[in-house]
Amino acid sequence: MTILPQDHSRRSFLYRELESAGAEFEDVNGAAVAMRLGGDAAAEAAQARSLGLCDLSGLPRTGFKGWNMATWLTGQGAEMVTESNIVTPQSDGTRIARLAPGEALLLGDDHGASALIENTDAAWSMETSDGCFQVPRAETNFWLTLSGTHTPALFAKICAVDLRPEAAPPHRVVQTNVARLNAIIIRRDIAEVPVFDLLSDVASAVYLWRALLDAMEEFDGKPIGLTALRTLR
Amino acid sequence: MPMERLKEPMGSRIDRTERVSFRFEGQQYSGYRGDTIASALYANGVTTLSRSFKYHRPRGVLSMCGQDSNAMVQIGAKPNRLADRILIEADLNVMGQNYWGSLEKDRLAMLRHLGRFMPVGFYYKAFYKPRWMWPLWAKLIRRVAGLGVVSLDTPHGYYDKEYLFTDVTVIGAGPAGLAAALEAADAGAEVLLVDENAELGGALAYARFDGAGEAAEKTRADLIAKVEAHARIRVMTDATCTGWYADNWLPLIKDNRLYKLRAGALVVASGCYEQPLIFHNNDLPGIMLGSAAQRLIKLYGIKPGNRAVVAAANQDGYGVALDLLDAGVEVACVVDVRADPPEEDMSAALMRRHVPILAGATLREAVPSAGGRGVRAIKIARLESETKSAARYDSFACDLIAMSGSYVPAAALLHQAGGRVSFAADNGSFSVHDLPEQLSAAGSVAGTNTLENVLSEGAAAGRRAAGEAGFTVSDDSAASAAPEEAPGAWPIIAHAKGKDFVDFDEDLQIHDIENALSEGYQHIQLLKRFTTNGMGPSQGRHATLPAIRLAARRTGAGLDETGSTTSRPPIGPLTMAHLAGRSFEPVRYTAMHYRHVELCAKMMPAGAWMRPEYYGDARSRADNITAEAKNVRENVGMIDVSTLGGLEVRGPDAAEFLNRMYTFAYLKQPVGRARYVLMTDDAGVIVDDGVACRLADDHFYVTATTSGVDGVYRTMLWYNVQWRLKVDITHVSASYAGVNIAGPNSREVVEKLCDDVDLSPEAFPYMGARRGHVAGIPALFLRVGFVGELGYELHVPASQGEALWDALMEAGKDADIRPFGVEAQRLLRLEKGHIIISQDTDGLSTPHEADMAWAISRKKPYYVGMRSVAIQEAGGLKRKMVGFELANDAASTPKECHLVIRGSTITGRVTSIVRSPTLGKVIGLAYVAPDQAELGTVIEIKTDSGQMVRAEVVKLPFYDPDGARQEM
Repeated sequence: MTILPQDHSRRSFLYRELESAGAEFEDVNGAAVAMRLGGDAAAEAAQARSLGLCDLSGLPRTGFKGWNMATWLTGQGAEMVTESNIVTPQSDGTRIARLAPGEALLLGDDHGASALIENTDAAWSMETSDGCFQVPRAETNFWLTLSGTHTPALFAKICAVDLRPEAAPPHRVVQTNVARLNAIIIRRDIAEVPVFDLLSDVASAVYLWRALLDAMEEFDGKPIGLTALRTLR
Repeated sequence: MPMERLKEPMGSRIDRTERVSFRFEGQQYSGYRGDTIASALYANGVTTLSRSFKYHRPRGVLSMCGQDSNAMVQIGAKPNRLADRILIEADLNVMGQNYWGSLEKDRLAMLRHLGRFMPVGFYYKAFYKPRWMWPLWAKLIRRVAGLGVVSLDTPHGYYDKEYLFTDVTVIGAGPAGLAAALEAADAGAEVLLVDENAELGGALAYARFDGAGEAAEKTRADLIAKVEAHARIRVMTDATCTGWYADNWLPLIKDNRLYKLRAGALVVASGCYEQPLIFHNNDLPGIMLGSAAQRLIKLYGIKPGNRAVVAAANQDGYGVALDLLDAGVEVACVVDVRADPPEEDMSAALMRRHVPILAGATLREAVPSAGGRGVRAIKIARLESETKSAARYDSFACDLIAMSGSYVPAAALLHQAGGRVSFAADNGSFSVHDLPEQLSAAGSVAGTNTLENVLSEGAAAGRRAAGEAGFTVSDDSAASAAPEEAPGAWPIIAHAKGKDFVDFDEDLQIHDIENALSEGYQHIQLLKRFTTNGMGPSQGRHATLPAIRLAARRTGAGLDETGSTTSRPPIGPLTMAHLAGRSFEPVRYTAMHYRHVELCAKMMPAGAWMRPEYYGDARSRADNITAEAKNVRENVGMIDVSTLGGLEVRGPDAAEFLNRMYTFAYLKQPVGRARYVLMTDDAGVIVDDGVACRLADDHFYVTATTSGVDGVYRTMLWYNVQWRLKVDITHVSASYAGVNIAGPNSREVVEKLCDDVDLSPEAFPYMGARRGHVAGIPALFLRVGFVGELGYELHVPASQGEALWDALMEAGKDADIRPFGVEAQRLLRLEKGHIIISQDTDGLSTPHEADMAWAISRKKPYYVGMRSVAIQEAGGLKRKMVGFELANDAASTPKECHLVIRGSTITGRVTSIVRSPTLGKVIGLAYVAPDQAELGTVIEIKTDSGQMVRAEVVKLPFYDPDGARQEM
C-alpha cells in the first residue's frame, strides 16, 4: 500500500527528490521507502541492470565502535573477520563491514529485515557497554545503492579509487572521497550485476543525489525503486 | 578558387563527398569534411595564417600538425587556436591575430624596419625614461602586445574529469607505440593506447620509409587491424597527455574531459619534432618542414607547391622529395648537409628520377616573392664547416622549400619524469637516459628511426612494461638492431642580413642569441629568460636546441654540459575549464531545510550548511529580524540549531577526558546537568565553546560550534592517541536534528507534546538535561540560555527532525509561535553579552582578554593550554573585551571591526554591534586597552566616513543581568 513520507515521523532526506521523480512509497522497517518510480516495472528492472540509483536510507543499519567492539559483537552472535575493509555476510542476510579494528557497520538486507541489527541495538546500553559503543548509523549516514554494468564507469567520474572489478572485488569496503564527500563504498554484486552501497553524511544527501544524477546522465542512468533492485537475483 | 586535390589514396583524412564552408578574415572559403582550417585555406591558395609577434612578418604553414604557433588563429570567442589541428565546420568564423588593420595589410608590418631599435632584451632597457612617458608607452604596448582577444562573454561549457587506471599505458600510436601496445596486451596487461591524432599510425600515415613508398601503409594497416581486434587494448584518439607526475600519474585531455590516469607502467612513444633549418628569411610562407609537405599531400590531398627544393640531413629528406614527385611537384634539387651521404634505398630511387643532389651544402637565403607572401628562389652554398659556408651562392627558382632530417625528441614527458636527452656533438643523433622505473621510451623519441628497429624497440618496451606491471613476459631483451643512420646536424650560420630566425614565436634571430651570450647570459636558463627563446606558445620545440648549440659553441662546453631548459606541464595548450572541471561544492541541509524555504526564509551559507538568516521579504530585512527577536522576548520563537556540533564522549574516563580538553571542571558534574565548555589550544588561545551534558557517569553529550566541531573532534582524537584514556569519541553532529524553542511561552508549547519529562522549573531547572519524548520522538532536552529567555534545546534523530518541527509549529499555533533565524539569534545573544567564537574572538584571544576567566578551573592539575593561560595571566592583559553602548544621538552607527582609537593609537576594535529593539539603544562588544575597561569609560570608535563616535563602557550583560528570564 502506498504511503506519503510526510505521514511518517522518520523521513529520508531524499524523499522530496524521489517524489519529484514520481516515486511510490511503502512502509519498510517503519520508514517510507521509495519502491517504484512510477513507470514501467520491466523498464525499471532493466535500469537496475544498466545503471540505477536507489535510496535505502529507510532500511536498517547500525554501528559499533570501541576497544572491545569485536568481543562484544561476536558475543551477540556476529561473525567477523579480523581484517579491516572486508564485509562478512551473516546467516540472517545482515552484512557486517569491518571499518577498522575497532569499528563495524551493520547493514540489513534489501527486505528491511535484520534480526542481528534488531538484537544488537536492543542489547546494547551504556550500562553494559564495556568498551563497545553504539554509533547511530541509521541517522548519521544516508544509504544509496548504485547498480548496473555502468556503475564502475560512473564511479570513475567522481571517485579516485579504482573500483574496477579486478581492483575492488565483492565484499570489499572502500573508505574514500566521492565528489568531495567522505564516503563508505561497499561492493556487493548480485547475480553478476555490479552493485555498490554508498553511505555518506546525511546532511549532504541532496547534494550528492544531484551530483550522482548529473554524472549518471552520460550512461542514461536513472533513479530506481527498491522493487527494481530486488529483481537482481 | 580552390585548387584541385590530388587523387586518392592521397587525402586520407578528407571526405570528398561533403564540402564545408567557413569564413576566414571575413571571406568565405570552402573545403572538405576532414580538412583543418589550415589545409582548407592552403587548398584555396591562402598561405598567410598569422603575423609574427615582434616584426609582424607574414607566417604560414610550418609543421601542419600543431607543433608551431604560425597557425594560431582566433575562432569566435576563442583565441590562440591551432588552425592546423582544428577541423572546419559549417559557419566557422576564423580571424587572424596580432595585426592592426587586416592580416593582409597589417599597419604594424613597418616594425620590421625598426629591428635595430628592438634588439634582444630591449624592453629591459627602454620605456622607463623619462618617467612621464611611461603612461604613453604603456598604452601603446598594451595595444600591440598579446595574441588574440579574450571575450568577457565567453559562454560556459560543461567540462568534467574522470579517473582511469591501466596496467600499461602507451603514449603515441605510431609504429613503436602500436608494437608496444600489442606486446603488452599479449602478455595479459590491460593497455590504454593514447594518441593526439584522430587516427592511429603516427608517421606511418604520412611519411615514407622505402623507395617504393609501400612499406608505411602496409605496416600501418597491419598493426592497426591487430590493435583494433585486441580485447585488452583500449584506444583513445584525439587525446593529449599533457604532463607526467609521480608514479605515472598522467593527465589526458580529450574533448571536454580531463582524465586522471594512473598507469602501472608507461611506454612513451611520442615521436619527435622535425626541426627547421636556420637561414635568411627562413620564415616565409612556402617554407615548411618536410613532414608538413607530406601531411598536405597524404592527409589532405593537396599539392604543396609547383617547384620545390628539399633540405635533407638523412634519408627522410629523400622520402619527402619522392613524395613531392609523386604529387606532381617538380623537385629542383635535394640539398644534403652531409658531405658524403650514403646511397640507400630512397636516395637511389631519387637518383633514378634524375633529381640533382647537392651534398655538403646548405640553404643560405630565401628570396621572397612579390609582396613577401611566399618564396620564389633559394640561394644555396657549399658548407665549409658547421659554422661557415662558402661565399658563393647558387640560386634555384622554387615556390616551396621543405626541410627534413633534423629532429628533437618529443620528450617532455621523459624530462618531467627525470629523464635526460643527450645530443651528439658532431651529428644530429641523440639518446635518452635516466628514466625511472616503470617508464620506457621507444621509437624516434628514443633516437631510433629505422622502421625495423622502431618496431622491435616498441615491442621490447611493451614487454618490459607488462613485466613491470606484474605480468609474466617471455624475454624482454631487445633483438639486435640494424645499424641506425646518424643524421647530419643542421648547420647554424649567421647571415649578414639577419632575419635568420631561431625562434619563430619570439622573432629571435641568430644575432639576438649571440648578443645575449655576449652580454653574459651564457647559462642556458638565463639565456632563455633574457631572450625569451623557447618561451612562446610552441614551448621551444624548434628553438631550444639551436640555442643550446649556440651557447655551447660560445662557451666551449659540450652540449650535455650546457644542459637544457626545464620542461614543465602542460605540454601544449590547456584550458582553465579543463583544469576546473565540474565543480563539486558540497552543501549541507538540515532536516528542516525545506520548511524554512516554504516559510520564505532567506537562506545563508554557514560553512557548508545552509541556515535561515531571517524569514520574509528581503526589502524588510531589518524589520523582520527585529520582529523575530521581539517575538522571542515576549512570546515564543523557534530556531533550527541542527548545525551545531555534537560529540558523544563515552567510557570510564569520559569525565577525565573532558577535564583535560576544556578549561572548566567536569569530574563532579552531576548527571542530568549541563555545563559550559571552553576549549583553548596549547598557546592558551580560545578555539571553541559549547555545552557538556552529563547523561551518565561515563557518558557526556558535548556540543560545539557549527564551524568548529570538525576541528574539535580531530583535536580530541589526536590528544587521546597520546593519553590513551578509556574513552570513545563519536562525531554525531549530523545524527541529530535540533531546535531551540525560546521565549516566556516556550514551556507551554513543549508541554503539549511531552508527557514523560517534568518541565516545571523545580524538576527541570536551568542548565538541566533530560531524556524523553516530544510528539513521540525520542529527544534530549537541554535547558540552555543562549538567547537569554526560558528555552529548551531539543535534539532528536535527524530523520525525525522535520516531524519535530512540524509538531512544534502545530502545537505553538495558538501561541503564535514564529520561527527566528540566525540574525535574530545573534541580536538576542548580544543583548545577553554572550560571545560567538570567531566573531568576538580571533586567533589570539585568550580567556582573560575575552572576559571568560570565570570558565577556568583553578583547582585541576591540567587542561590543554593551562600553562599558557597562566603565563598570560601573570604577564598582564594587552587588551580586554568590554560591553559598550552608544548615546542615542550618535550620528552614525559603527560596524564590526571598526577601530577603537585613542589619540593617534589604535587600542582595539568592535567585534559585535547591533541596535537592540529590547533596550532601544545601540550596544556592542569591543576589545579595548586594559585601562579603558573600567565601567563608565568613554571610548571613541572610528566609522566608515572617518567620523569618531563616542561610546560608554557598561556592565554585561545588557539585558536581564540577574538571568531571571532564562531561569524561570
